[in-house]
Amino acid sequence: MIEGVRRTSAFLMLAGLCACKMESKPPAIDTTGSSDPKVTSTAAVGTSSVSGARIAVPHAGPPGEWQMPAGDYASSRYSELATITPQNAANLHVAWAFSTGVLRGHEGQPLVVGNTMYVVTPYPNVSYAIDLAQTGQPLKWKFRPENAQQAIGRACCDVVNRGAAYADGKIFYNLLDGHTVAIDAATGTQVWRTKMGDLSRGETITMAPIVVKGKVIVGSSGGEMGVRGWIAALDASTGKQVWRAYNIGPDKDVKVGPKFKPFYAHDRGTDLGVSSWPGDTWKTGGGTVWGWLSYDPALNLIYHGTSNPGPWNENQRVGDNKWTAAILARDGDTGEMVWAFQVTPHDMWDYDAVNENILVDLPIKGQMRKALVHFDRNGFAYTIDRATGEVILAEPFVPMNWSTGVDLTTGRPRVVETKKTAQDKNVKDICPSLEGGKNQQPAAFSPQTGLFYVPTNNLCMDFQARAVTYIAGTPFIGGNAPEKGGPGGYRGEFIAWDATIGKKIWGIKEPYPVWGGALATAGGVVFYGTLDGWFKAVNARSGKVLWQFKVGSGVVGNPVTYTGPDGKQYVAIYAGIGGDMGLLIAGDVASNLPYDVRERGTTLPDISRWTSWGGELFVFSL
Amino acid sequence: MRTQGCHVSVVRERSIAALCALFVLSACTRSAGSPGDTSTSTSASSTSPEQPAVSHLLVAGDSLRFIQHDENLPVGFPTSVKPLLIKNPYEGDKAAISTGGKLFIAYNCLDCHGADGSGAMAPTFQDGRWHFGGSPGEVFESIYQGRPDGMPAWGGRISNDQIWMLTAYVRSLSSKDLSTENFTGKTIERTGH
Repeated sequence: MIEGVRRTSAFLMLAGLCACKMESKPPAIDTTGSSDPKVTSTAAVGTSSVSGARIAVPHAGPPGEWQMPAGDYASSRYSELATITPQNAANLHVAWAFSTGVLRGHEGQPLVVGNTMYVVTPYPNVSYAIDLAQTGQPLKWKFRPENAQQAIGRACCDVVNRGAAYADGKIFYNLLDGHTVAIDAATGTQVWRTKMGDLSRGETITMAPIVVKGKVIVGSSGGEMGVRGWIAALDASTGKQVWRAYNIGPDKDVKVGPKFKPFYAHDRGTDLGVSSWPGDTWKTGGGTVWGWLSYDPALNLIYHGTSNPGPWNENQRVGDNKWTAAILARDGDTGEMVWAFQVTPHDMWDYDAVNENILVDLPIKGQMRKALVHFDRNGFAYTIDRATGEVILAEPFVPMNWSTGVDLTTGRPRVVETKKTAQDKNVKDICPSLEGGKNQQPAAFSPQTGLFYVPTNNLCMDFQARAVTYIAGTPFIGGNAPEKGGPGGYRGEFIAWDATIGKKIWGIKEPYPVWGGALATAGGVVFYGTLDGWFKAVNARSGKVLWQFKVGSGVVGNPVTYTGPDGKQYVAIYAGIGGDMGLLIAGDVASNLPYDVRERGTTLPDISRWTSWGGELFVFSL
Repeated sequence: MRTQGCHVSVVRERSIAALCALFVLSACTRSAGSPGDTSTSTSASSTSPEQPAVSHLLVAGDSLRFIQHDENLPVGFPTSVKPLLIKNPYEGDKAAISTGGKLFIAYNCLDCHGADGSGAMAPTFQDGRWHFGGSPGEVFESIYQGRPDGMPAWGGRISNDQIWMLTAYVRSLSSKDLSTENFTGKTIERTGH
């Protein structure tokens, strides 16, 4: 978690002395040119195309708008806009920019509805409505919510916000202090405000909601604080809670009932959310929902991941720890669990399973499958049957050594004995690190190529677990996990992935973990940003970098594209380093002195040479 | 419970602190509540749960003043009283600092402030910058009553004695304040890791 991380968790990425020294000069990375594509791009090899692949749910609203966090319920982050192509992408330039006034990690993405763009900032979670139809993009309104300052110190992994959702004339988003708000999109007036999380127990909210059949779906953060994770639905017009499902605990709390039909036998039984934990440990067991949500209207299923179990020290919670580090499918009306797949049973590496679940129909072994594709923190890319929860295939998409593969008869990973963490042991060189092969940075899918575009990390860690006592409102972790660069001398890679066979098609190696998300477009151009502040346009087929621009701060946000009132295609991205990965690297992020930019680098001590604090929206066009 | 302790009032309510502290000086040795009431077991040699008298924390001969930073006083503000110098009974005491280091882990301070106070979701103690003041009294106050960005209030949950040991420990972590860097990635020398 460290939501982020977990929290998640970057705060324990205390790079040891040796790691600091080693990483200050990464061996295979050209430090004179930062991420010059000529230096860091691998040769473009594949032009693979998966024919017949399609996104399961259409884009929300007109193609020129961006109404929900990933553009559609399928979490594809694909746009039909096609004016920007590999032939003309080199002519991209900044059209305009906007400072959000906040200098924390800008994860998430803006929305575009009609001629208005909606921006939500990290804490204090100010929202802006920007008038795209007028020269100079004046504000239509600015909304500053009440938002308890205490939340800053209860959030594990920077005070990020992953964005808003639009529906029925309202903008819905979550506040760090545990509230969900609905804002009138036209006037900026607060329509309702509902307290969902208990800050005193360490519950915060950072995730982006989606709106399903008149209900706003939200989930909690705090997997590093010993909370008990939940997902809930609020009536979009009144803000009243319709249902809330915990992810651990008795069946009635978890909403396991007659509809529950997990694919694997070991996931069937009564009150597994209690019996897979010793004693009452499930009550402080984590399993939060701080990542992305998907929805399949045809199956009427909401898909979400759950975070790591708490504490990290596995000795204190022997058992499978259901349903942490899992992918859950819930009924779109009632929240009842329909299937569950535990990606990492009894997680002992902080491998949350909250990453996005991309809903696509894929031709696999001559048969069209209703698939869900998930790039997990644990380093495996899963292609899953989204109707049943059956794992069709699972292959590593980053360097990894903690597992030798996933047993497809059980869905469980085969764990390497020497990489199991344990209390009072220092287990060395586990890959990937607790940041995962991929973290919150969402991948994109293009039906044109049938490929997934995945921002990844290449980090390893040592893991030292220790006993920890639960003290409400303080972290419940019990572990240190200093990180270091993974094998190969690079620390991130932007890859194209064929989920029908589980293979990487091409990759662009980056000096730093790629903590920003991806955007795929019908023009055949894919976009992503880097931690050292480059925003790049890439040929979707070949992986060739077509254009790049150095924005004002490291990118941890996700690009979106829209059609402006002038009919042109625009691409927008936040610049603002932070989040779990940025927490320790770009200055004293955790202090309340954001204007102090002195280096505090530990895990990535060299990055402050390339970027610094920021909080800006950049908009590009031809 | 915490508002019943005179010492608490000293650190919380500056406007009435002088009166309270005078009271403390003259008479108050009563308990501040039930410190040490925590589910965490530690190796700390927690002293009696009785609130220690504050009088021994005062440097002999000093009278009372509670604003420790002159720069916060408006020009011409009457300052008729002299500084109250709150002394940490454990300042520089190696055994107490070592115990403070254990408490720092036992009370989950480490998980926010980082190993050896290297910083994370909460500020570092290694850079010589103190957002709420770095004197022993101010650090005690930060631990005792919490701080608005999420620092929990530990007053009444653990003994004042333990808070003083934590104060001694975190103050011992502070290194020099460096205001420039040359972006080689090795500019800042750090302690602890």
